[in-house]
Amino acid sequence: MTGMTSPAADSMAVTPLAETWRQLLRSARGHAPQLRASLIGLALAAAVQGLALACLPPLFQALLTQRDAGATLGWLAAMTVLMLVSTVLRWWAQGFDYRGDMTANTHELRTLLGEQLRRIPLEVLQDRRAGEINSTLLGSVDENLHYVLTIANMMATALITPVVVALALLPIDWRLGLILLLTFPLLIPLYRWRRPAFGRGKRMVAEAHRRTSADILEYTQGLPVLRAACREGEKFQRLRQSLAHLQQIQAIGQKKGAKPNLVMASVMELAMLLVACAGVTFAVMGTLEIAVLAAVLVVVMRFAEPLATFVLYTQVIDLTEAALRHIEALLAIEPLPQLTPAQEPQSFDVRFEDVDFCYARGDGPALRGFDATLPARSLSALVGPSGAGKTTVTRLLMRHADPQRGRVLIGGVDVRAIPPDRLNALISAVFQDVYLFDDSILANIRMAKPGATDEEVEAAARAAYCHDFITRLPEGYATRVGDIGGRLSGGERQRISIARAMLKNAPIVILDEPTAALDTESEVAVQQAIDALVRDRTVIVIAHRLSTIAAADRILVIDGGGLVEQGRHAELLAAGGRYRAMWDAQARVKDWHLPGATAPASA
Amino acid sequence: MTDRTTTTAAVPGVWAIMRPVRGQIRFAMFLASLSALASLLALGALAWVVHELFARPGEWPWHGLAAATALTVAAYTLRLLAFNQSHYAAFRLETILRTRLSEHLARVPLGWAQQMGSGALAKIMQDDVRALHVFVADSTPLYARAYVAPLATFVALWLLDWRLALAATAVLVFGFIVLGLAMRDSTELMRQYNEARERVSAAVVEFVQAMPVVRTFDSGNDTFGRYQRALEGYLEMVTRWYRQAGFASRFSLAILNPMPTLAVLLWLGAWLVWRDALAPATWLAVLLIGSGMAESMLPLMSLKHLVNKTGISIRRIHEVLATPPMPVPDAASARRPADAGVRFEAVSFRYTKDGPEVLREVSFSAPPGSVTALVGPSGAGKTTVARLIPRFWDVTAGRILVGGVDVRGMAPETLMTQVAFVFQDTFLFSDSIADNIRLGRPDAPLEDVIAAAQAAQAHDFIMALPQGYDTPAGERGIFLSGGQRQRITIARAILQNRPILVLDEATAFADPENEAALVAALSNLMRGKTVLMVAHRLSTIRDADQILVFDQGRLAEAGRHDELLARHDVYARLWGNYEKAQHWALGGTASADTARVPEGTAP
Repeated sequence: MTGMTSPAADSMAVTPLAETWRQLLRSARGHAPQLRASLIGLALAAAVQGLALACLPPLFQALLTQRDAGATLGWLAAMTVLMLVSTVLRWWAQGFDYRGDMTANTHELRTLLGEQLRRIPLEVLQDRRAGEINSTLLGSVDENLHYVLTIANMMATALITPVVVALALLPIDWRLGLILLLTFPLLIPLYRWRRPAFGRGKRMVAEAHRRTSADILEYTQGLPVLRAACREGEKFQRLRQSLAHLQQIQAIGQKKGAKPNLVMASVMELAMLLVACAGVTFAVMGTLEIAVLAAVLVVVMRFAEPLATFVLYTQVIDLTEAALRHIEALLAIEPLPQLTPAQEPQSFDVRFEDVDFCYARGDGPALRGFDATLPARSLSALVGPSGAGKTTVTRLLMRHADPQRGRVLIGGVDVRAIPPDRLNALISAVFQDVYLFDDSILANIRMAKPGATDEEVEAAARAAYCHDFITRLPEGYATRVGDIGGRLSGGERQRISIARAMLKNAPIVILDEPTAALDTESEVAVQQAIDALVRDRTVIVIAHRLSTIAAADRILVIDGGGLVEQGRHAELLAAGGRYRAMWDAQARVKDWHLPGATAPASA
Repeated sequence: MTDRTTTTAAVPGVWAIMRPVRGQIRFAMFLASLSALASLLALGALAWVVHELFARPGEWPWHGLAAATALTVAAYTLRLLAFNQSHYAAFRLETILRTRLSEHLARVPLGWAQQMGSGALAKIMQDDVRALHVFVADSTPLYARAYVAPLATFVALWLLDWRLALAATAVLVFGFIVLGLAMRDSTELMRQYNEARERVSAAVVEFVQAMPVVRTFDSGNDTFGRYQRALEGYLEMVTRWYRQAGFASRFSLAILNPMPTLAVLLWLGAWLVWRDALAPATWLAVLLIGSGMAESMLPLMSLKHLVNKTGISIRRIHEVLATPPMPVPDAASARRPADAGVRFEAVSFRYTKDGPEVLREVSFSAPPGSVTALVGPSGAGKTTVARLIPRFWDVTAGRILVGGVDVRGMAPETLMTQVAFVFQDTFLFSDSIADNIRLGRPDAPLEDVIAAAQAAQAHDFIMALPQGYDTPAGERGIFLSGGQRQRITIARAILQNRPILVLDEATAFADPENEAALVAALSNLMRGKTVLMVAHRLSTIRDADQILVFDQGRLAEAGRHDELLARHDVYARLWGNYEKAQHWALGGTASADTARVPEGTAP
């Protein structure tokens, strides 16, 4: 949770400005030329503004020292013209925002990122943290990039304007010019150089936040248990300690984290005092005109505000840099490679050939030398303890990821050679948890076959035993899922997902514990729906309750990522192995009787 | 300023929520104001320095320079102190609010907390509280400065020279009038913008979350379309906004930029100085302080935006704190139960004032030491009955007696020492396993803990863990299967050894091998207790002393298994369904089992 709210961990790495520039232009895609022009325009505007300010010393000289009306007017006019040019340039450069280029750019970028999400291996998406990052990224692309021009403008005025002024000052008084040149422009490189050190303070605070966050979550999750045990006070004490600790770390972090601002502000104030003192000294020595000193003071004091604002916005720069990095990282994920030539299976038996598979984020292999054949138009059951690798088998078939070794074949064709949309069309899956969209029931079923007529959808719903409860809903098939929210029971949701599978009419069906979380009444209906779904298909089912799959054509017992036993129910029972043990354990449970039930009680 | 509240009367505003740290915030704002004044005076001192130089060239202007240095240092130190104060206040506020929230959560009805969801509550305690930080810590000093600096500048300008003051003010007023024009319809546009943004976020979350499920159906075409539509709506909205308000806002920003003010002050001042109607030093002072007036006011805009953003978090925090706590009798009138019987007297219940009745006039009695089973279709109200006993909610009408005493008339601790709970969702704290079992009896010796674990069939797997009973559990601990976690919670209940036991769906999610152990554990736990158990697996409750059958919130039937079967009513139907579900086998048509399956009728 804290991972999302604290970009601190990300801001550790300091991207060189040149790299940020390149990333920025890459992210602008088709708008890159305009963006580049805009950014250059802003830089030019800042430079011209510097030139305008550089008119002040000669202006003051003309007016105060020389009392030269012509020169005074000339410098005033020059300054005004330069100021206007700067304004026009900036006006034009900001057009990237105001003409809608930036909006169009973020729009295209989001579309592109969305398309990328559809191509990248599903394994990547199933990681919860990755999911969070992706949704934050897609949600905030515009927020992060919309500040780009504002920030660029700030950087330009804080950095380029003083440099131009300093350069222009060199011929008038090289000493003051040099002092300016050596102080103000150095702020930004100085800040960036010191930033990793500041990051340590931030990281400490982020870590404390993560811990408190975990403690808070534990407290809210454990609340029922705590209150039942009357221990909320004690845990509360612990939470309190954690909160106090956080506050302590925050205070330390504040001292460290305040440093970037401290350094920049110190250098800034110091530089201004230095210029003032040096200027006064030169003036007292008689080597600097007082008028020039006055003008330089006016100009230098103008630098303070843009710099201060810039310091305040450095965090936004961090955010933008982090967003750009995430965007690049997401776009860099390669979709699973396709084998050529593309092939389409003609039959639908499934074969796993000596498959090894390891999850990218897992520790240890999920499947090891898994080798099995699931004949077409038959029912194959995968059984085994949790974590044995049953779900991984089905995921590899659906190509959420590719195995590191071995092959997965459908009808003799390597799944890697089947075009993704074709592979998709071959397989229907019904899972324990059903995702329904905030749309009508009709649309929720139809998503399995976008062109389906209302009649087809209804036929599928009937076959999945959904029709009756759907017609009882306030607006029937047009009822929006969001409007009835939690009112659909687990069984009803499950039947809608079966209706989807019905409509899709794929030759291979995967059932992953479809009835585990249901109550008895729903279960019967779901079972009937499943019976209708699996007719004449290649069915792969994962089930804990062994009696459900006793009639399977082939039972595959999986443990530790490998195939331990396979055969029909009767054969496996006779073999007296692993399956037999599981079956006996379940049989014992069935015969369980309540203890302590003694005498009939009256209501 | 502190009493400012937002338009919605009940929800406190940003200032009101800061009340606990009000003093410190005020101090911070005071320091920030002083700092702003000191900066202004420092600029004045610089003008004085130049004035001295003009008056006595060649002489060191000690006084002015010393004053300028001292004031600069003072401004800088004060600003630093102000930010430190506001940050410490913000950290303190975070701790205070989190403490209040957690204390409050310990007193509100548990049912309410569960409805909100532990994740959502944790998010409020962590993220929403943290969201206040930006405003409280970073913005309060800026806020003070944004008011004080322009005001003081304004006064100073008028004191220095009314003509120049008038000119500077005119530029500013013109700028703000144009800005006002730009913001004319901003409330309505802002609302539309926020709506469009919300739609985009919702679409993003749906798109990313649903991706794994959706990709098995349609490669995401449908959701992608939805995502795309939300993006397009947003694009359209933002483009329109830019078109509508773009020119005016760009124009006003160009005017409020310090350069135009500077230009006006230069032209007018030069003319006045030329005519000897203005002292150069005064002009210098005006130039030094005057041109930044607009700049120092601009932060007010972004601060206003920030206040609005913070408002959302404040509302969520307030919502939790405004939930009334559960009424508890005072110590004097609290009563103690006489025995371990549970009695419902005409209990009716609804979750909200105008919600549907979930329970209607339910009356039953569970004598001490008896086993009562609660059955019925999902949504019938059986879980609600179980959760009313520990006062997750309070009844709407009627009363619930434990040991002859109304649960509302008992101290919560008394009630909790009578009743133990084993719920579906097992929760382990990130303590050692021993401490997890000890919860509720923190002083229990390890022998008792081990005995309880043995009775709960948990001892063996605990001993197999790397550190045995000292192994850390919970989110940050070792991975335990659902069945193992459940047995630990059963051990906890065994150790607590309370006379009344409420079980909710205790065996629903166990896998076959765990289930046998779980059942044995439960048998040990139930011995000699008054048991109320919610059950779907009807075979386990055949021997209950009394079976209560719920249907649509009413107690439909009560009696023993055989009696109820003989009535051929609700229970008989449930039992029939249950039998059918038990014997269902996938692809059963090919199996010999089919003979045992009763002929099914469509639901």
